[in-house]
Amino acid sequence: MSEILTLPLRSLKSLKRFEDYNPIAVFVFFAGAILPAMFCLDIILLLISFAGGMSLLFSLKGKAAAKSLFLYLIVPIAGFILNPLFYHNGKTVLFLINDTPITFESAFYGMSAGLMITAVLVWFRAFSLIMTSDRLLYIFGAASPKLALILSMTLRYIPLYTRQIKKIRMASKAMGLYREDTLIDRLRGSVRVFSAMVTWGLENGVITADSMSARGYGIGRRSRYAIFGWLAFDGLLIAASAILCAGVLVGAGFYAFGFEYYPEISAVPISAASCLCYAAYGILVFIPVFINIKEGLTWRSLQSET
Amino acid sequence: MEIVTVRNLSFTYPLRGEKALTDISFSVESGDYLAVCGGTGSGKSTLLYMLKKELTPRGDLAGEILFEGKRLAEIGDKDSACKIGYVMQRPEQQLVTDKVWHELSFGLENINVPSNVIHRKVAEMASYFGIEGWFEMPVDSLSGGQKQLLNLAAVMVMNPKVLILDEPTAQLDPVAAVDFLETVARLNRDMGITVILVEHRLEHVLPQCNKLLVLEDGRAVAFGKTRSVISSLEKNEQVLAGMPAAVRLYNSFHFTDECPISTGEGSLWIRKHFSNRDPRPKEKVKRSFAGPALELKDLWFKYGRKEHDVLRGTALTVYEGEIFCILGGNGSGKSTALSCAAGLLKPYHGEVRIFGKNISEYKNMLWGRELSMLPQDVQTVFLKNTVKEELEDSGACESLSVYDLKPLLDSHPYDLSGGQQQLLALTKAIASRPRLLLLDEPTKGVDTYTKERLIGLLKQYRDEGMTLVIVTHDAEFAAQIADRCALFFRGAVTSVDAPEAFFSENNFYTTAVNRMTRDYFDGCVTLDDVKEVCEKNHD
Repeated sequence: MSEILTLPLRSLKSLKRFEDYNPIAVFVFFAGAILPAMFCLDIILLLISFAGGMSLLFSLKGKAAAKSLFLYLIVPIAGFILNPLFYHNGKTVLFLINDTPITFESAFYGMSAGLMITAVLVWFRAFSLIMTSDRLLYIFGAASPKLALILSMTLRYIPLYTRQIKKIRMASKAMGLYREDTLIDRLRGSVRVFSAMVTWGLENGVITADSMSARGYGIGRRSRYAIFGWLAFDGLLIAASAILCAGVLVGAGFYAFGFEYYPEISAVPISAASCLCYAAYGILVFIPVFINIKEGLTWRSLQSET
Repeated sequence: MEIVTVRNLSFTYPLRGEKALTDISFSVESGDYLAVCGGTGSGKSTLLYMLKKELTPRGDLAGEILFEGKRLAEIGDKDSACKIGYVMQRPEQQLVTDKVWHELSFGLENINVPSNVIHRKVAEMASYFGIEGWFEMPVDSLSGGQKQLLNLAAVMVMNPKVLILDEPTAQLDPVAAVDFLETVARLNRDMGITVILVEHRLEHVLPQCNKLLVLEDGRAVAFGKTRSVISSLEKNEQVLAGMPAAVRLYNSFHFTDECPISTGEGSLWIRKHFSNRDPRPKEKVKRSFAGPALELKDLWFKYGRKEHDVLRGTALTVYEGEIFCILGGNGSGKSTALSCAAGLLKPYHGEVRIFGKNISEYKNMLWGRELSMLPQDVQTVFLKNTVKEELEDSGACESLSVYDLKPLLDSHPYDLSGGQQQLLALTKAIASRPRLLLLDEPTKGVDTYTKERLIGLLKQYRDEGMTLVIVTHDAEFAAQIADRCALFFRGAVTSVDAPEAFFSENNFYTTAVNRMTRDYFDGCVTLDDVKEVCEKNHD
């Protein structure tokens, strides 16, 4: 990691928002928050996870997140209604439809599975909001600078090509040379645009290749310029995420908490260990909001001091 | 100290009989600013390729090219990449990555510079070029001028000794072009960077460069100090066409004093040699127009619901058989208005009438039989592999402009020069024999010599009864061709007038000739005008 700027840990009066942490640290955090939710079908853990994810969405998007809240809740509700229609395991029969039993266990399982999907969706939504292409490239680049360059060039070409296709289409329309009355005419038009696009792309590629070799591409090993710095805070975030996530997973492995759905719903009895696991996960998923709230308070106190 | 020395250089492309470059010799001192000029096909670009090892095409090369006293071919890869910077014509295609910061760091990454050193150099360049504000932006959101400036900055971070530029402003609008050339001159002046630049339009380059190399058919016909070279251009029409108005005026008379280069010098030169007893060129014949060909009535348009209005009540009438030029700054809505007129965009309020009929009354795009529009980027018009196929495909084999394309029939459209591409695209656009032709920036990337030809052709089309509406940045072009001119500002037309009155009343949007003769002669806007008046007042 010699290429990354290392700054000393300053006073805790940091004005860094969660989004501004080093992308690798943020990536590790997301892995830590998402993994337990994916592997433990435990309703309490999932509720914590969902609440944590939603709180992060609120802190990123503000009130706009409220609208999506209802959308996310549809999945567990749908699971609650639909799952018992297809799976009939479980002891507690609620009622019969056409002689097939609808069980409480199956409905509850459907809701839990739905909640898991929702919780993971919420986390991925937050992930995609924070991880812009720059940040993803930074993470990939740490693995391979070549891969990072290819991705960056691809990201450049997508809008370039889309725009050019549109321009070629407009141009042939505006010249009034080609008929567009029937489907066949239009198909022919598309083939024309496509072949023109291929030519343009090749021509374009030649110039880009020239521009690359003029600036020394391919003469030896490449280095990588990272625009994201590395602060001690980032290390703290990684350590906290890793330790808390490992704790929860170990707890799940030793059945410190967990749920049995069939034939009858039974939870692992509440114990010191299970409380510890829930608490650890709770702390983990609320770290981003905690960081952002602290940032807000620090900012305000700095403002009032002046 | 000589930094680049070229001795008896000749070059032949493989499978071609004639030489592209023949026996060229010149040398550039450290800190020089050399402008290379010449007509289309004179070998300017080929010469530049020879000076950059990575770009030298395959072929038969004779003679010697020395860089800092060493043979160019023997310089190490890293030195060659760093010390010789190269900027090409097309701003868009040179960009490699998706973000501004990544583009800036690309060259340094290639030569394995550690991240913290890159950070320092990139930061320094970004602030020198004033591009700190776009540092994290995607390159796609930049304007053409900004992209070209970024290309320059991305080369400058490698700390080159020599900067080679191949028509860097051909694709830019005049304001961005001047901006770019100013930056190049500043690099030359402040940092002592040696500049070798190829350009068609030399108005802004001439006052800045100290040496000039003139090429003709692959031979160096003149080389030396700028002033001594330009006073001897008389006979070279192709090169002279690209010179500033002052130089062209000087070369049409036979004075032996020093040649004026800039507009200011030209203005003094005129006052020195000519009186202003009879300051007016003779009245131009006013053309009479038939009914309206294109009417825009109170157009309002915006690209997105939450975006600003681009057109705000645009209203104008173009009459049958006239050439109507629309001038205006970037983002003033000229091109948008043209697209609305062609039916490509639909205004949310207002009416477009073509030959008296509302555009919505033409079913199935049938207005396309009446009008044709040529977009700004003419490469979007080419769909075939050779010029011949292109002409056959559009059924344009008998058009006037085909004459100019005869020697190029077997070439690929992309291999033509900017001017030739424009002629080919124009030929395609009029193949459907439209009565109304809309052109968007037809002089972009066109060399001045081809521009003259273009003007001739367009005037001929008009005389055959075609109506032309031309959106352009190029005041000189508009002054020569327009029957009427309009100025666009914030999505509406602010003034419409005949070019003589239009340009005489503008201060900024006017021709160099008009600026040169202002307050001395009256109503001179083109070179022909001023020549005429000068001859009348010549003692």
